[in-house]
Amino acid sequence: MNLRPIHSAIGIAALALLSALGGCKHSQGGSTTTRTASFPSDDLIGAVPLGQVAGEPARVVTALSIDDPYHDNRQAIQQGKQLYISMNCAGCHAYNGKGNMGPDLTDAEWRYGGLPIQIYETIRDGRPQGMPAWGATLPPDEIWKLVAYIQSLGGTVSVSDYEHARQGDQPGEQVAPEAQADAQFAPTTPIFPASIPDTTQKPSSSPTPAKPGNRKP
Amino acid sequence: MTALSYPSRIKFACSVVLITAISSCTRPQLPVSESRPYEGASGRVTGATLNSAPNDPAGEWRSQAHDYANTRYSTLDQINTENVAKLRVAWTFSDGTLNGHEAAPLVVDNTMYVVTPFPDILYALDLTRAGEPIKWTFKPNPAPMAKGKACCDTVTRGVAYANGKLIYNLLDDHTVAVDAKTGKEAWRTKMGNVETGETMTMAPFVVGNKVLVGDSGGEMGVWGWIAALDVNSGKELWRAYSTGSDQQVRIGDDFKPFYARMKGKDLGTSTWPADMWKHGAGSVWGWISYDPQLNLIYYGTSNPSPRVPDQRPGDNLWTSTIFARDADTGMARWAYQTTPHDRWDYDAVNEDILMDLPINGQVRKVLVHLDRNAYGYTIDRVTGEVLQAAPFAYQNWSTGFDMKTGTPIVDPDKEPHPNVKLVNVCPPDIGGKDWQPSAASPRTGLVYADIFNICMDVTDIEASYIPSSPFDGMDMKRYPAPGGNLGEFIAWNPVTGKKVWGIKEIYMTMSGVLATAGDVVFYGTADGWFRAVDARSGKVLWSQKLGSGIIGQPITFLGLDHRQYIAISAGVGGAATVRADEIALRPYDFPAGGNTLYVFSINGDSMSSGPGQMTSKDNVSTTQPETGNGTQH
Ligand code: HEC
Repeated sequence: MNLRPIHSAIGIAALALLSALGGCKHSQGGSTTTRTASFPSDDLIGAVPLGQVAGEPARVVTALSIDDPYHDNRQAIQQGKQLYISMNCAGCHAYNGKGNMGPDLTDAEWRYGGLPIQIYETIRDGRPQGMPAWGATLPPDEIWKLVAYIQSLGGTVSVSDYEHARQGDQPGEQVAPEAQADAQFAPTTPIFPASIPDTTQKPSSSPTPAKPGNRKP
Repeated sequence: MTALSYPSRIKFACSVVLITAISSCTRPQLPVSESRPYEGASGRVTGATLNSAPNDPAGEWRSQAHDYANTRYSTLDQINTENVAKLRVAWTFSDGTLNGHEAAPLVVDNTMYVVTPFPDILYALDLTRAGEPIKWTFKPNPAPMAKGKACCDTVTRGVAYANGKLIYNLLDDHTVAVDAKTGKEAWRTKMGNVETGETMTMAPFVVGNKVLVGDSGGEMGVWGWIAALDVNSGKELWRAYSTGSDQQVRIGDDFKPFYARMKGKDLGTSTWPADMWKHGAGSVWGWISYDPQLNLIYYGTSNPSPRVPDQRPGDNLWTSTIFARDADTGMARWAYQTTPHDRWDYDAVNEDILMDLPINGQVRKVLVHLDRNAYGYTIDRVTGEVLQAAPFAYQNWSTGFDMKTGTPIVDPDKEPHPNVKLVNVCPPDIGGKDWQPSAASPRTGLVYADIFNICMDVTDIEASYIPSSPFDGMDMKRYPAPGGNLGEFIAWNPVTGKKVWGIKEIYMTMSGVLATAGDVVFYGTADGWFRAVDARSGKVLWSQKLGSGIIGQPITFLGLDHRQYIAISAGVGGAATVRADEIALRPYDFPAGGNTLYVFSINGDSMSSGPGQMTSKDNVSTTQPETGNGTQH
């Protein structure tokens, strides 16, 4: 991706922009915030699925509980706010985050999850209905600053609720006994049909891919 | 860049809600009582005619504006000032989508064509059968990405019919033609790259064998254009950009603008800082009209990008400009920039209604253009000379109009500059009137328009051009102008430049207008009132509250039963509803959205309503129409 911060007729603004954008490419180690923070590894982030884990309803994706290393860093939040403007997030989500072309980032409604790691993934990878992917433009520390800024707007999900948020639970809500996560009748293992008749005449190759669980003969 | 000021977050509270006239948290009253003719104003322009030929057949509605002149006037008169109070719902249709419904349905050959906002589905409804069942459904499957690129909701402003084809633009920059009989795609032409932020929302306009289309994206730093495609093949015949060299703008020897400011070589580049014109917008997302005698088309271009004027010193031609072009070649004949160096996002895309008006004892061929900048222009459409320019809506950005240079005089106190909060600029970006098209009646010589009464506080924030993202920079808050009402329906005298009467509305008036030979004019409000008004006196004769806010365009047609029907889509959305926090425009009782197309008739009578229908032959028929498999996926 080729960033072109052209078109700033005002010299100072152009300079400021250039440095802001230049910083994107190789900014590790610039500010104190950058030096001290350590970021979740790509592997850890990769372990967070966008959807529910098929076949393993009870599996808890612990990676969801990873917090933004900057979540309580005021300086980083301020930098996140400036990135939010200079990267034109504000053009789509409004200067106050209340949304226009893109959705409201201050409310409790999250299409792709409101946990910090989920917001990180949304910004890094983009989303299909018009959210650009910023992973090629912004290094992890700047994306985390954006996440911290969005967290500061108040609508995100707290990491302590990472288990609840998936099923729309609210902290402190009452739960019917049958709906307890550890209720004995909750299905925990997949059940596949014992065998699927092989309609193809080929003797050696099976047309259906191998499935996990108890189906293997 | 560091001292960025933010508007404090607005919390919903009843006390913030609107208008002084209504106490907070109570239901607003109907505005009917506010309808009164303006004192001393004449309700009529004698000797006015409309240059509308060729018209759609009287009982049909084949293009968004109904005619070349963009009058939205119908000669049908069964429904008139005497009986319009008996208007009732005859039938309804829901298309299953929830975004803003800005398009007028078409009626051709006893079939109604209804297009939805994204995903731009087109339905054909069979008006010969009871219940108006779906004949076919065309699903074009536009790219979902387009939804995030459209500034002002995922709207379309409708379809045009020509040569047995329905032609319209998809949000993802494709123009498609669909066979009206079968619902099969006839052709599809890719007109732009949605990843740059360009979208298409305007309704195509057909002149002969050419269909004219343009782009949207004045907030995205696009390079605006209008293009002509062959109706039968979809092949592009010419394209004229709104900025760039004379060659790119299709300016040649025939180009004779009236005013000195618009004369010169390559003004589409020289009125910009170096290269800024390349992302200078001037998109073409509004209406096109056509004069068959002069063989000229008329249309306007959008605001310049970015919306921070200090980043682009100069007049920024040819943005916020009305163009007259040769319909065959696309070569420009004249141009007139309504708002030079547009600082407020005023555009010039609003409709140009072609009328022949008696002015100073002479009948002049004019176009009437109620601009977003709040000036109502009457312009000689042969030469581009401004004959009349006067504010039709509340404004304070301009202190007057210099008729010599054809330029509004700007109040320097209302010029935004980066990082300075400027309060009380009127009108706001969406204008004294937005795209919602007005109508004109040859019986009164008046123009009927839904207008706004809105102001804004604005802070400019310098923007950088990052492809895929907005090139914008306008942080604003909008609220009602003095008077407290957000909307008004007016009758405008284009000869005198004066409002004849007005009906104030508490909520925004963002619908199209329909004028009829029954001397009834129709309009809707953003909170869902659909009204019929006496074209001469401005008296409200009938109203009904619909299931959602109205930003669609009313039409009228004759059924197979020779009855006159009125149709309107309710389905609020669009520019004024995209921001979640604009409670000044959308208080607590504003409609939540939704969609229904309503069709009205006197007493609600129709082939498919009233006693006996359940036993009619039509209704028990189980046979599929021949074209039943037109569905495409
Ligand atoms: C071109 C407009 C555009 C730009 C620029 C843009 N976004 Fe978005 N954003 C969107 C759209 C549209 C969506 C919804 C996407 C979808 O549903 O597929 C979205 C979604 C999101 C979401 C997820 C919201 C949810 O409900 O799950 C976040 C978080 C977000 N954007 C943050 C940002 C940040 C931070 C930036 C700047 C680095 C940015 N966006 C820039 C349009 C944009």
